[in-house]
Amino acid sequence: MSPSYLSDYAPLLIHILAAMIVAGALLSLSVLVGYRRPSREKSEAYECGIHPTGDAREPFSVKFYLVAILFILFDVEAIFLYPWAYVFRDLNPGKSLAGFYEMLLYIVILLAGYIYLWRKGALDWNR
Amino acid sequence: MTPALADAYSLAPVITACGFGILIIVGDAFLPRGGKSLLARIGVVGALASLAAVTLASRHTDDAYSGLIRTDAFSLFLESLIFVITVLVMLGSYDYLVREGLPLGEYHALLLFAASGMAVMASANELLTAFVGLEISSIASYVLAGYRRTASKSNESALKYFLLGSFATAFFLYGAAMVYGATGTTRLDVLREMFVAGRAPGPLMLLGCAMILVGLGFKAAVAPFQVWTPDVYEGAPTPVTALFASGPKAAAFALLVRILVTGFGAANATWFWAIWVSAVLTMFIGNLAALTQNNVKRMLAYSSIAHAGYLLVALAARSEIGIAALLYYLVVYALVTLGAFTIITHLGEPGERRLEIDAYAGLGTRQPFTAFCMTIFLLSLLGLPITAGFLGKFYIFDSALKAQLPGLAVMLAMNSVIGAYYYLRLVRVMYFTEPEQEWTPEPVTAGVGAVMFLTAVAALGFGLFPGPLMTFATISAQSFR
Amino acid sequence: MLTLVTFLPLAGGLLLLLLGRESHAAIRRVALLTSTVTFLLSLLLLRGFDATASGYQLVERRPWMSNPQIQYHMGMDGISLFLVLLTTFLMPLAVLCSWESIHTRVKEFFLMLLALETAMIGVFFALDLFLFFLFWEAMLIPMYFLIGIWGHERRIYAAIKFVLYTMAGSILMLVAIIWLYSLSGTFDLPRIQSLLQEGVIRLPVRQEMLLFGAFFLAFAVKVPLFPLHTWLPDAHVEAPTAGSVILAGVLLKMGAYGLVRFCLPLFPDASHKFAPWIVGLAIVGIIYGALVAMVQPDYKKLVAYSSVSHMGFVVLGIFVFNQVGMQGAVYQMLNHGVSSGGLFLVAGMLYDRRHTHMIKEFGGLATPMPVLSSFFILITLSSLGLPLLNGFVGEFLILTGAFERRPAWAAYAATGVILSAVYCGVTSV
Repeated sequence: MSPSYLSDYAPLLIHILAAMIVAGALLSLSVLVGYRRPSREKSEAYECGIHPTGDAREPFSVKFYLVAILFILFDVEAIFLYPWAYVFRDLNPGKSLAGFYEMLLYIVILLAGYIYLWRKGALDWNR
Repeated sequence: MTPALADAYSLAPVITACGFGILIIVGDAFLPRGGKSLLARIGVVGALASLAAVTLASRHTDDAYSGLIRTDAFSLFLESLIFVITVLVMLGSYDYLVREGLPLGEYHALLLFAASGMAVMASANELLTAFVGLEISSIASYVLAGYRRTASKSNESALKYFLLGSFATAFFLYGAAMVYGATGTTRLDVLREMFVAGRAPGPLMLLGCAMILVGLGFKAAVAPFQVWTPDVYEGAPTPVTALFASGPKAAAFALLVRILVTGFGAANATWFWAIWVSAVLTMFIGNLAALTQNNVKRMLAYSSIAHAGYLLVALAARSEIGIAALLYYLVVYALVTLGAFTIITHLGEPGERRLEIDAYAGLGTRQPFTAFCMTIFLLSLLGLPITAGFLGKFYIFDSALKAQLPGLAVMLAMNSVIGAYYYLRLVRVMYFTEPEQEWTPEPVTAGVGAVMFLTAVAALGFGLFPGPLMTFATISAQSFR
Repeated sequence: MLTLVTFLPLAGGLLLLLLGRESHAAIRRVALLTSTVTFLLSLLLLRGFDATASGYQLVERRPWMSNPQIQYHMGMDGISLFLVLLTTFLMPLAVLCSWESIHTRVKEFFLMLLALETAMIGVFFALDLFLFFLFWEAMLIPMYFLIGIWGHERRIYAAIKFVLYTMAGSILMLVAIIWLYSLSGTFDLPRIQSLLQEGVIRLPVRQEMLLFGAFFLAFAVKVPLFPLHTWLPDAHVEAPTAGSVILAGVLLKMGAYGLVRFCLPLFPDASHKFAPWIVGLAIVGIIYGALVAMVQPDYKKLVAYSSVSHMGFVVLGIFVFNQVGMQGAVYQMLNHGVSSGGLFLVAGMLYDRRHTHMIKEFGGLATPMPVLSSFFILITLSSLGLPLLNGFVGEFLILTGAFERRPAWAAYAATGVILSAVYCGVTSV
């Protein structure tokens, strides 16, 4: 092992630097080489071709936050399933299904939370 | 016993607490509006069951989950303390919740989740596991601090706690990352072995250690990271304040001890000065600021800062008797503060109106038992003989002097005298003055009475017969050999 | 036996708790009975005391805590016996003098008084440093309440001042006690003493001086030695009569007792080193107390300052390091306990009748109250140290002792005696 554990990460650092250099070079090249003809139409906010109406900074219902945070919660939790699937065989040596039950327990706990917020009306938009 | 089962044994208290918490959450979703008091009962049963599960954990005292969790006498000691605190907080807060019209279900579930997080902190043997425990307990605490949603003070408290708390946990995480970067491990026992093998702590590692100290110092409300304490303690619902002053503090100190002694024990000459300076600052800031407070909750908040300073003195001794003294003091302090805050809860009246020190005038004649218990708690915090607080201070003095730190001991002594002024001020108001407006305190309910009685018995009992508790503390301190 | 004497008052106090809140007569009777029985029991101690034997007698020792090693170790010698007798003698008087003057919260009052008695007796008997400190601090709480609840106008200020002064001194003593413990591994006074004498533990000079200073400060506050005396006048003036009697009669003696029992035997070298300074302070206290007493319009204050003066004599007697001085000091302690206790009793009686402590209001007292005023004169003269009365003996012995050591000291101190004649004369109108 090298004197500092950090030196193991040197390739990663080189990779990041290379990516930054390439991307930076491309962007700056297009700025330097390309030529621009700005017009009013072009500098408008792009809304899928539709003409923008009003200000983008509008107050909107706090319910969005609730839904958003719930979405993130359950979405992020799904991420745990991928590494689990990857090592599924190692978790279940032989015929045992220990790894399977463990994940089942995890899902049940999630489900409890889901039932709770459902019954509490957190998903009910009109409340 | 299969390995999986053995691992589950060592986390039995945490699993039990979480299980009951989930049960309450689901129950809350289905129970009719009138039947929620059942949830409070389930909560108490859950906390007691978790306490009982500590004995299960004691059957498997070893590393578990490939070294992430370590069950030893130290972790068992703190887990017992944490769940005792949880039971007492629950008993003391039922009437408060009913009085303030706050939902019962979530409260008890959050208490159990917070407690499970603290238990993880107490038994974590690895920095990231510790971080997970820290976050579990913190997030539940943020919600609890803002539990009186309609009171602006409670909101302020929750927001301050959340913002500063997340900042502090980020520090902790950053520190853990640095330690990992420097050494390639986050396991504390591996760190220790590295030191034993002759590796010198490099600058990156020390920086990581310092940042971890910052994060934990915040949780433990230790100077110079104590600024949030009075506001958060004042705004949070009083029973929650009782929890904050005892539970998270105990867990944070547990983690501090484990990280510093196990992980960085070889670098103790370096962190010693940080702890020394922090101890002195904490004691003086806490006690001096408490002198001028008129709000009882704020006063006890500053007093809790001061007590964190006393605990740091024990830590600065860097010895087994120092850790034993710290553990003993932690138990005594936690129980006594809990008792005091329970009385404040009880006398608070709807909307927590009655919080000024002067509002306690004449309590001595109106409700002698309450005033008597409060006096015992205050005297114990002050550290007068016969009470447990005195022996606690004694052990700390002893460890500091044995570690050749007479300076710290003398400063601790000076602070005890400063403390006398404001603790006795409350005693004086309760017994010596008559209120301007006539008032009758509400009768003591069964839950509040039980907490008052138990903590008062503990405050006197541990003062007269410290033997069993001190033996347990000493054995726990030997876990770090 | 010692345990019985010590804890009987507390048991009586707890018995009071069973009585009804309003049954004042019964409460008073139980309190009086308890304190009287305690006095009689302590007289029995006198019979069991062997004056020819040296060392501690009637020793009781039982292990109490294993970590730290604390023993319940009680014992007595001549000094503690007599101070306990003084305590138990004054206590029934204190109960009697509160018979009529305490009307509010009677039960709590007598409970506090009896608890105080237990703590005081415990202080004199305890031979374990930890136990001693326990009783020493436990005494604060009842006294705090006695002054704070049943005192006069500025009672709260006086109560807090009393506690803070005493605590500031005693907490340093605690550090010193624990320091000794960590050096010797025991709290047992005779053991520590023998360890020190046999040279098993050696204290470096600086350490011994620090330890001595910590102990000395705690006791000096209690004595009170000039310039640490300022709590005394406040506490005396504001305390109820019984409180003043106990305060002057017993509590001040505890400081001097501590000096004799702990400071001198444990730290002889440091004591000798500091002796000239301490004697200087004592003499300043003697003269200063007397001078201030002379100009006091308030009678209780006068007695308070005279106590400063008289206790200065005691300290002087202790720190001249000869037998005569020590005998005088002990004698003076007892005398001062009796006579200043008596003076406060008289002051309390007068206050109950005239509702003032102002001396000028006492003029012409002899005609309506001949008996009281003649006792008044008698006690005053004893306090002033007139030959044939008890006060004379103590002061004479102390002055003799001081003369043997340094004639100049005796000369300065003797000024105090003369001045005391002046202030006592003021009252004897």
